[in-house]
Amino acid sequence: MADSGDRRRFIYNLHEQSKPVGAVRWLPSVSPFLRLAAMSVLSPPAIEIHSFSSQSPNPNPDLNLVSSYPLPSSATSLTSFKSHNYTLIAASTSTGSLHIFSVNPYDGKIESQIISISDKDSFHCGPIQSIDVETSSTGECATAGEDGRVNLVLIGEDKVENFRVCESDGLVAYSAVKWGSPVEFVTGGVGPGLQWWDKRRPGGPVAQFKGVWGRGTVTGMIHSIDIHPSRKHTCVVGGSSGAVYAWDLRWQQQAITLAGTGLEAKSQPFSESEVWEVKYDAFTPQVSSTKVLPVMMCSEDGFLAVLQQDERPVQLLEEPCAINSFDIDPQNPSDVIVALEWESVGILSRGREETEMA
Amino acid sequence: MPGIPSDSSSLIPFALEGSSQPPPVYPLQHGLRAPIHRIHISWSRGNLLNVTCLRPPPDQQEEMAREDDGIGGKAIEVLLGGAILEGNIGEHKRRRIAYESVKSYAFLHDKKISLAKMETGDNLSAPALTYWWQYTLEYSKSIRDILGNARLHRPLIEDPKNFLKPEEVEQPIGTKAAWELMEIFYVDMQLLSWLPERLVDWLEGYDSLLSKTETVHSKLAILQRKVTSMRVVEDEPGYWNGLAAALAVGWLDVVAKLLRLHGSYDPDQFDKRETENGLVEAVVLLVSEMPRMRPNLPNGKLGICYQTKHDYIKGLEKWRVKVSGLESSPFWVHCNHRPTRDGLINLLHILLGDAKHIADATSHWLELFISHLLYIRPLTNGLEGMGNLAEKCMNLKPSANNGLTSLLAGILSENPEIVLADCLKAFGPWIVAHAVDLLTANSEYTDGLLNEERYQLGGASIGELYMLVYAQALASHPLTWQVAPAYLSTCLNQGRGLLEILLLRQPVQNYRVVLKTLEICHLYELGNISTHIMKMAGMYQWKHGHKGLGIYWFQQSRDRTRLSQIAHKLFDNIGKSLSDDSFKQWEGLMELLGSDVGIAGGLEFLHKYREFKRSLQQIVNGGTVEAAKKSTELLVQLMRNPSTPQRFWLPLLLDSVKLLEWRSGPLLGVSETNLLLGKLQELSMAKLRPDFHGGELKPNALGDVRLALAKNLGRAILEES
Repeated sequence: MADSGDRRRFIYNLHEQSKPVGAVRWLPSVSPFLRLAAMSVLSPPAIEIHSFSSQSPNPNPDLNLVSSYPLPSSATSLTSFKSHNYTLIAASTSTGSLHIFSVNPYDGKIESQIISISDKDSFHCGPIQSIDVETSSTGECATAGEDGRVNLVLIGEDKVENFRVCESDGLVAYSAVKWGSPVEFVTGGVGPGLQWWDKRRPGGPVAQFKGVWGRGTVTGMIHSIDIHPSRKHTCVVGGSSGAVYAWDLRWQQQAITLAGTGLEAKSQPFSESEVWEVKYDAFTPQVSSTKVLPVMMCSEDGFLAVLQQDERPVQLLEEPCAINSFDIDPQNPSDVIVALEWESVGILSRGREETEMA
Repeated sequence: MPGIPSDSSSLIPFALEGSSQPPPVYPLQHGLRAPIHRIHISWSRGNLLNVTCLRPPPDQQEEMAREDDGIGGKAIEVLLGGAILEGNIGEHKRRRIAYESVKSYAFLHDKKISLAKMETGDNLSAPALTYWWQYTLEYSKSIRDILGNARLHRPLIEDPKNFLKPEEVEQPIGTKAAWELMEIFYVDMQLLSWLPERLVDWLEGYDSLLSKTETVHSKLAILQRKVTSMRVVEDEPGYWNGLAAALAVGWLDVVAKLLRLHGSYDPDQFDKRETENGLVEAVVLLVSEMPRMRPNLPNGKLGICYQTKHDYIKGLEKWRVKVSGLESSPFWVHCNHRPTRDGLINLLHILLGDAKHIADATSHWLELFISHLLYIRPLTNGLEGMGNLAEKCMNLKPSANNGLTSLLAGILSENPEIVLADCLKAFGPWIVAHAVDLLTANSEYTDGLLNEERYQLGGASIGELYMLVYAQALASHPLTWQVAPAYLSTCLNQGRGLLEILLLRQPVQNYRVVLKTLEICHLYELGNISTHIMKMAGMYQWKHGHKGLGIYWFQQSRDRTRLSQIAHKLFDNIGKSLSDDSFKQWEGLMELLGSDVGIAGGLEFLHKYREFKRSLQQIVNGGTVEAAKKSTELLVQLMRNPSTPQRFWLPLLLDSVKLLEWRSGPLLGVSETNLLLGKLQELSMAKLRPDFHGGELKPNALGDVRLALAKNLGRAILEES
C-alpha cells in the first residue's frame, strides 16, 4: 500500500537507552557540530538532555547524556522553545504539574528552573496530557488535562500567572493543545472532536468540529495536533484508528482525510492503530499550493511516514515496536529523532537528493 | 506470610516428607540484632523476593536504654534462581535480548505455519523438511547476533607482544556460549563432518567462561601481562607452559606469535643461535601446516584445510612424518639452550598426540577433551564416541562443573530433556524457550518428545511449558509484558488463556496504556477481552469523575446497561434542580451520551423542559397573560411529544396546576385538557405496574391534579360554548 522510502538516501542510527523513553524533542543548537536533544525518560522519571556530534567521522555517533532534570512523576508532554536567547524546555507530568527550565545552548547543561507549578485546585488534578507554548509574542503556555481543564500559564518577568480557560468538570478529557496564533489555540480530546478557542472571546470555544470516525459508529481520541505558522486556519490532527485529517476553519463541516479509515470510507487505511504524533514536514516538497502541506506521523504499529493529500504515503520507518514520539529538527528539517517503545531512540537523516529531484 | 524464624539468621524452605536430600539452606545477611520477631515474605518483580525482617517492638524502658540502635527492621531483596554464569548481564541487557529475539522467533514461527499450510496437501513433503533446518539455522544465527557481536577493534599496527585476542568490546556471555553449543550439535547439518573443529573454535571463544582461574585462557592472560616486562622470555617456564597450553587446545596463531617472541629471533645478540632459531622456526612451520578437517579457516588462523576424510588422512600422515622427523633430528644436540629444547620437544609431543603431554598442558577437562579431539582422535564422529571420551576426560581431570560443561555433557548423553533443564538452571528461561526450536530442528524423535501433549502437564507439551515459563517471566515486568503475547500465541493449549489473563491484568488508569493493550487484543483477535478492558477503563474513569472518558469507553464497549443506567440517573437529577451550572453539566452529559441514551428524547426534550420551567418561573413571579399562554403552549408541546419520558409526566402535570388555576380564565382548551386527562389516566394505570418510577411526590398529588383538570375542563367547556 505504502511506498517504502528509498532507504539508500537515509542514514538511520538506533541508540539503546536502557530505560523507557516517552517523548523526544530537538533543542535549538548554536553550533553546527554539536546537536542537542531532550527526551523524557522513566525509572526514575526525568527529562534528559543528550548531545551528539553531527560532524564526527564516526558514522554512528553516540548520544551522550549531558544533564538530567528530575520530575515528580512520568512526563506526559514535552516541548522545547527559544525565548530571549534562552533555550527553554517545558514538560508536564501525569500528576498534573508543569515544569519549565532553561538549558545552556552550547553544552546542554541545565541552567535554572523557571517554573514548577503543581496545584490540584487552581491548576490541574490528574494528568496534563498536552502542553504548547506560544513563542511568537506572548510566551504563554497552554495546558490541557485529562481532568477537563485548559489553563494558560503566563511567564512574566518576576511572577507566574495561570488562569483557567475552561473547566468541563470531567465531561471532556483533553488530550492535545496547539497554538494557532498569539490569541487562538485548538484543543482536542475524547468525544467532541476539536475546539477552537479565542482568548478575546472567553466563555467557550468559538468553533467546534465533531469528528466522528472509525466507520462512523464511534468517536475517536485525538492524540496530537499541529498548525503550520503560514496556514493558521488549518490544523492537522492524528488520532485513533490510524486517522490523520486536516480541519480547515473556513470549511468547518468537512475535514480532509490524509490517512486512516477516516471520515470518508474511500481511502485505504495505511495504519489502523493509534497515531501518536503528527507534524508538518518542511523537508518533503509541497506538491500543490491548494493542498494540505505534507505531514509526518508515527504510530503504535511502528510506522513513521509522510502523508500528502491524495498521494500515497511515503513510509520512512517500519519498526517492530511502537514509535511513541518523534520530532523534526526545525533548523535541519532533514533530521528526525524518534522514540521507540523498546527503550531506544533513533535518529534519521534524510539525504539532500530528494529535494533536488523534486 | 508471617512466620517464626529459626535461631540462626537463615531461611529454610519447606521440605517434602520422604525426600532423600536434605533441604538446602541459604543464609541471608540482614545485619539485624537477634532476636527477630517476624518475617514477611512477598514476591516482587520476576524472581525477586522481598524479605522483611522485624525485631520485636521495644518496651518503653528498653527504648530508653538503646536509643542508639534504632533499627527496628530491614527489608532485603533476594534474587532466586539467578543464573550462575549470567551475573554480568544487566537487567537492561536482558530486556534488550528479549526485545530483539522476539522478531526472529516470530519470523520462524510464521514460516512454520506457512510451511504447515503448504504441507496439508501431501503429508510432509521432503523439500519442506530439508529447508527447515536452514530456516532454523538462519534463526539461530540471528539470535546469536542479538546475544552480542564480537566486534573486534583491530589496531592498525599490531604489537608483536600482543598475542592474545584484543579485548573484546563485550565480555563473552555464557548464554551465547550455550546457544552456540546447541547450534553446533543440533542445527547445522553441514558441519557435522567437522564437528571436532567446530568445538575447537567454540572453545577459543568461550574458554574464559569455563572457570575463573584454571583455564588455558587464564594462563595466557597472566603470561600476556608479564610478557611485556620479560627480557628473556625463553628462560621463563611460564612462557613454555603457556605455549604448550595454547597448542593443546589448538590456538595455533597464538602459538606462532608466541614462538616468534623467542630470543633467537633477536637480530643483535652475541651468541650463535642460528640452530636454535632454525628449530624454533621449524616448529612454527609445522604448527602452521597442521592439517585440519574443515572447509575453511577464518583470516589469521593457521593450518591447512582438508574437505574430505580421505585427503585429510593422507595429509595428516605426511605431516606426522615431518613432525616425528623433526623430533628425532640430530640438530637438537646443537641446541644449547635447555629450556628451549625441552619446550619445543614438548610441543612436538603434543602435535604427535602424546596423551601424557596433552594432559599436562591442559587445565580443564573440557580442554583436555578438545585436545584429544584435535590430536588423538580427530575423526571422532557421533555423539556416543564423544560422550565416552568426555567421560574419560572428566575422570582424568575432575574440575568443577558449571552450566556450560554440564550442558555439553547433557548434549553428549543425547537427552534433550536434561539439556533443557540444565539450560534453565544455568541461563534462565529465555534460552530454553528459544532453544526448543534448535533441538527439534533435525530430529523427529526430539520433536515428538518435546512437542507431545502430556496429560500430566494439563495438555501442554514440554516445549510449551518452557515457553509459558518464559512468557511469565516477561509478563512480570512492566516493560517487557508487551513481548509476552508473541510467545503465548504459539502455545496452543494454555497460551490463549494466559494471554487473556495477562491482558486483563494491565492497568487501566492511563488511557494511552489502555490503547496499547487494546492494540494487542486487536492483533490477536480477542474482541471480548478488549470489550472487558474498555468496560474496566470506563468504570475507572467514571468513578474518578472523568465522565467524558468514562462514557467514551462505555460507548466503545457498547455497554448498553451502564449507559442507560447513567441516563436514568441523569434524568432523576434533572427534576430536582435547574440552576445554570448543573444544567450545563446535564447538557454536556446528554451530548456525550448522544443517541446511546436508553430513553428517547435526549437533548431536545431537555431544552424544551428547561424553557417551560423558565417561563413558569416568570408566571409565578407575576407574569402577563401572554407569558402564561406561551407557557401553556410549551406544556402542551411537551405532553404531545412522544419523546417526553413518562417519568416527567407527573412533575409536568403538577406544574400545570399553576396554569390551570390561572385567575383570569382558562388557558387550556377542551381538547388540551382532555389530552392532559388522558395522560393522567395512563399514569394512574402505570402506577399499578411494578416497574413504575414514581419519584418523591406527595401521595395525594394525583388527586390534586385530577381536581384541577376537572375544574379547568368545566371552565373551558363553558368558555367554548
